[in-house]
Amino acid sequence: MLDYPERVLPKDNLIPLLRKLAKDARLIAPVRKSCGDTLFTEIVDVDNAVFDLKNKPQTSLKPFLLPQQEILAKYRVQDGEYTFSPPDAARPTIYFGVRSCDLTAVLYMDLIFSKPSRDATYFDRRNNSLIITLGCNDPLDNCFCESTGSGPYLEFGFGLQCIDLGESYFVSAGRRKGVDVLEKWGYFFRPVTEDDEQRRYQLFLEARGRFTRNVQVDHACRILQENPVPESLLEKLSSRCYDCGGCAYVCPTCTCFSVDDMELSKTNGLRIRSWDACTSSGFTRMAGGHNPVDRRRQALSRRFLHKLKHDFALHSKPSCTGCGRCVDICFGGVDITTFIDLLTASESV
Amino acid sequence: MVGLATSFGSGAMTNSIGELEGADVLLVTGSNTTETHPQIGRNILNAVDHGAKLLVIDPRKTDLARQADIHLALRPGTDIALINAMMRVILDEDLADQLFISMRTEDFIELRDYLFRLDLDELARITGVSLRDIHEAACIYARSCKSVICYCLGITQHTCGTDNVQAIANLAMLTGNVEKEHGGVDPLRGQNNVQGACDMAALPAVLPGYQDLTDTDVRKRFEQVWGADVPPVPGKSLTEMTHSGPDGDIRAMFIMGENPVISDPHLNRVEATLKQLDFLAVSDIFLTETARLADVVFPAASFAEKGGTITNSERRVQLCHRAIPPIGNCRPDSEIIMELGRRLGCPGMDFDSDAEIMEEICLLTPIYGGMYYDRLAENWGLQWPCWNRDHPGTVFLHKYYFARGKGRFTVVAHQEPSEQPEEKYPFTLVTGRGSYHHYHTATMTRNSRRLVRECPEALLEISRKDCKDLELHSGEMVEVSSRRGTVLVRLEVTDRVKPGTVFTSFHFWEVPVNKLTVDALDPRSKCPEFKVCSVNVRKAAHA
Amino acid sequence: MKASFLPRPAVIREIIQQNAYIRTFRLELIDKTRPFTFLPGQFVMLSVPHLGEAAISLSSSPTALPLFDLSIRRAGSLTEAVHTMATGDQVGIRGPFGRAFPVEHFAGRDLLVVAGGIGLAPLKGVIDYCLYHQELGDDPVSGMTLLYGSRTPRDIAFQETLSSWQARGVDCRLTVDRAGDEWQGAVGLVTELLDNCTVTENTTALICGPPIMIRFVIAKLVSRGCGDKNIITTLERHMKCGMGICGHCHLDGKLVCVDGPVFTLAQLKKMDVMELG
Repeated sequence: MLDYPERVLPKDNLIPLLRKLAKDARLIAPVRKSCGDTLFTEIVDVDNAVFDLKNKPQTSLKPFLLPQQEILAKYRVQDGEYTFSPPDAARPTIYFGVRSCDLTAVLYMDLIFSKPSRDATYFDRRNNSLIITLGCNDPLDNCFCESTGSGPYLEFGFGLQCIDLGESYFVSAGRRKGVDVLEKWGYFFRPVTEDDEQRRYQLFLEARGRFTRNVQVDHACRILQENPVPESLLEKLSSRCYDCGGCAYVCPTCTCFSVDDMELSKTNGLRIRSWDACTSSGFTRMAGGHNPVDRRRQALSRRFLHKLKHDFALHSKPSCTGCGRCVDICFGGVDITTFIDLLTASESV
Repeated sequence: MVGLATSFGSGAMTNSIGELEGADVLLVTGSNTTETHPQIGRNILNAVDHGAKLLVIDPRKTDLARQADIHLALRPGTDIALINAMMRVILDEDLADQLFISMRTEDFIELRDYLFRLDLDELARITGVSLRDIHEAACIYARSCKSVICYCLGITQHTCGTDNVQAIANLAMLTGNVEKEHGGVDPLRGQNNVQGACDMAALPAVLPGYQDLTDTDVRKRFEQVWGADVPPVPGKSLTEMTHSGPDGDIRAMFIMGENPVISDPHLNRVEATLKQLDFLAVSDIFLTETARLADVVFPAASFAEKGGTITNSERRVQLCHRAIPPIGNCRPDSEIIMELGRRLGCPGMDFDSDAEIMEEICLLTPIYGGMYYDRLAENWGLQWPCWNRDHPGTVFLHKYYFARGKGRFTVVAHQEPSEQPEEKYPFTLVTGRGSYHHYHTATMTRNSRRLVRECPEALLEISRKDCKDLELHSGEMVEVSSRRGTVLVRLEVTDRVKPGTVFTSFHFWEVPVNKLTVDALDPRSKCPEFKVCSVNVRKAAHA
Repeated sequence: MKASFLPRPAVIREIIQQNAYIRTFRLELIDKTRPFTFLPGQFVMLSVPHLGEAAISLSSSPTALPLFDLSIRRAGSLTEAVHTMATGDQVGIRGPFGRAFPVEHFAGRDLLVVAGGIGLAPLKGVIDYCLYHQELGDDPVSGMTLLYGSRTPRDIAFQETLSSWQARGVDCRLTVDRAGDEWQGAVGLVTELLDNCTVTENTTALICGPPIMIRFVIAKLVSRGCGDKNIITTLERHMKCGMGICGHCHLDGKLVCVDGPVFTLAQLKKMDVMELG
């Protein structure tokens, strides 16, 4: 990691740099929409795009690397033959303004889609991507990445990481592709001074002090390694879960999916992968109607346990990145922070 | 609509949705809010999390009822008796807001005298709720200064629907819980833009903005802009039209985005009515059961393929942005209407944009007076009344005085539903939305593989006791019959319904539950009594 | 391993009607340039035009390759469509997936195979595989007993296979839940057949059937002193990918498609599984 270079990008050079980068790749960045949403959007016109680097994008990078619906294969049924062909190849893409939590989620997806087997469609997109993150100097509402070890700044995994120093960005490379950018477009950057380093660290210290939510993620993970979830807690949560799947859809690390065929004509069609939610009852129901998962209560705990127990056991890290999007979206107010709060409270009694 | 308009002078939600979170007491009646209005449900649950008391009146033990401090599981169709009992308790406990009553209301004495003549034990017996619970709920509601009542179709879809609403209005006025923030009477609309449809006078007796059809000056204004005569006589209500029968005087019909062949009561009559028409045109985004009967079908654009506005329950007019161009031959509703109008020789059907249509609405509809597109584009739209360009919109209604001047108390007495359980039909059938996953007659939602997977079929909810008494088993097909018809449906044993009551949804055409429902109407709102009819349940005869 | 969602076309060579609702489809891959081999207990993802995929266990022994069997019960829209297909029609195949039965440890063991209904399908390959090697004389098992339960005599599937196994030395015992007078055999649950079987330290039990049957057979075997490592079952779950990614078959930290579907009781006991009640 020490070998990766660091530079400073004066803010005036940001747009010129992005313009250069966008010549050979699709550029995706958070954009403020007219109705007040902030969404990752393809930037067609760099000069007139309304970049929004202040608010939390309502979606993560998941819709790009694992689209809500994507083609896994095309098939033909003709003259008695049934044949499959692969989907179109992915385009090179640069993601700019990605938050630390969302990059951490991408690293987790890399893990999921490489073990035990390597998912060709996912890695086609992934290998064609360069991710430029933006460290969070101002944690937003419902953010708790500090508790999950996925922010506000990162140490590795990004192509480039930008930290806003005010007049300029402190830019660190974390992967070969990031180094390439610093080398190829070196004239946009200047060397790092001692003062830049101190400022960056000061901002980091202050950012860590600005979180409004204290969620005891680690404590919850440890409790779950040894103990079952109290029935009363599950009862309480499930009585307010309406099975909408919203948490799983907005979650940057919820990667469960379904595969279905879409018939385009009698002779051809598409095999489509689409997001699914382990909280829904049809997720595990088998042909014939039998369901090994007892409705909401078990389904709901499956999702929490996957993130906080099973993944913690496997990777010593929960697969919740503290982005807080499920907190924003849950109708019933029974998101992962409620679960953790109630679990850790019940333990300390 | 009619009920609240009579009491307050306006039929809409008096509060904003966001205000629910700040209420101290929420009385939810005839609404399965968390399943049918999940966003509003979230506000209610947030209020509960902040310490608010939740009172739920519902014959079923819905998910929301499970969260309630008190769940008043009344016998279907006895809402008035329950509300009257609560008001009597409030009087007995001296919790009525005398100052509010004298400053802001009229006709109280009549109601007071009526309530004092009632026998509480008798009312409790009628409702099937214990007097203790009624007493406690009444005191909780009346003691708080920030009490909100939310109601939905469980209140209005009765022959006494208008009376039910007036009873609710009485309760709110009796305790001074209206005309302010965090306190009021909030009808939750059954569909995303039903408020907008009513505002735009998709009602038989009013012109846009609830302007009086019989008022010559008002009519003149419309005639001037529309370049056509406006008939001063009210039209027919929906049920009057779809139930006019084979001998009805309606010869042609144009149905937009409705599926009355499944959604209206007493279906056999609806189908007979539509089939005898000389001409039927239907406009919808999918080929619905109703569209299948049509001579001409117009493919309509979906929400994502058109612009326009949607007015939600809190009177908020919100701008919609077109996300994709219309697919295939489909067209936005406005274009269909204009094209049809032009061909029928109607003048003025040449709007170039949705914004231009809105300009006419602003001109003719005082409560929408300032709702120009450029203003709606800012923030999240505007809440009516919004009288002019400079008006900020209205967060809660009736500040200083009710829309009609003084709030009017109305004496309403309990009346039994149009149909009573009897030996041959011993169960009370309640119908409603059964699942979060389907919307109405599921013309849209059943096209989604995921939603169908989550909720593949209709279920008849029955209590464990009734199921056992009938020697039936959960999961088997049963025959449900009323005086009007029979449907087959799968049985589900649940603790959501009480013995004597069964419940099912109207989402599935295979289980056309409205073959069973009565076509008795509320005499004033013309709303059918979907919520109560008497049925029998028995094992399905296997072929 | 590189995971692919591209199935390989296979042609139906033969269809064997096993009972009113189970058919065995004998398949052969069209493209033989890429290798295809498996072990008993593994499964494939079967594609049917316009209807998507379903996980189906391989019911033949790899010794019969290049032909391989899928025995399919009509249960949903996809299997319904397969049942309308004819010889010469094409389907898509991905796989094989999952962990197989530990056939390499069966030499010298007494195999006790307990199956209910369609549950015989994944176990059929094991019996065929062991018989093949037994008849070749390498690493023979010490003996094979099959206990097979069906609902009624008419529901008994794989009848021809059963008589051929009997002739080749497998002790096949059948039972039905209920029967008319014409049925000469045992009536009752498959667990009752267990009462008349010898269970020793040398017994390896292989179980597949409805969850409730698996639960009672396991309980009985445990009470008869069979060790947790010698009780082996195979689980059925809804699956979409077969490769440990989609999450549908997630089971308390394990994935049935890659960590199973074959599990020993020792492994199951560490999980919260409906088959154990």
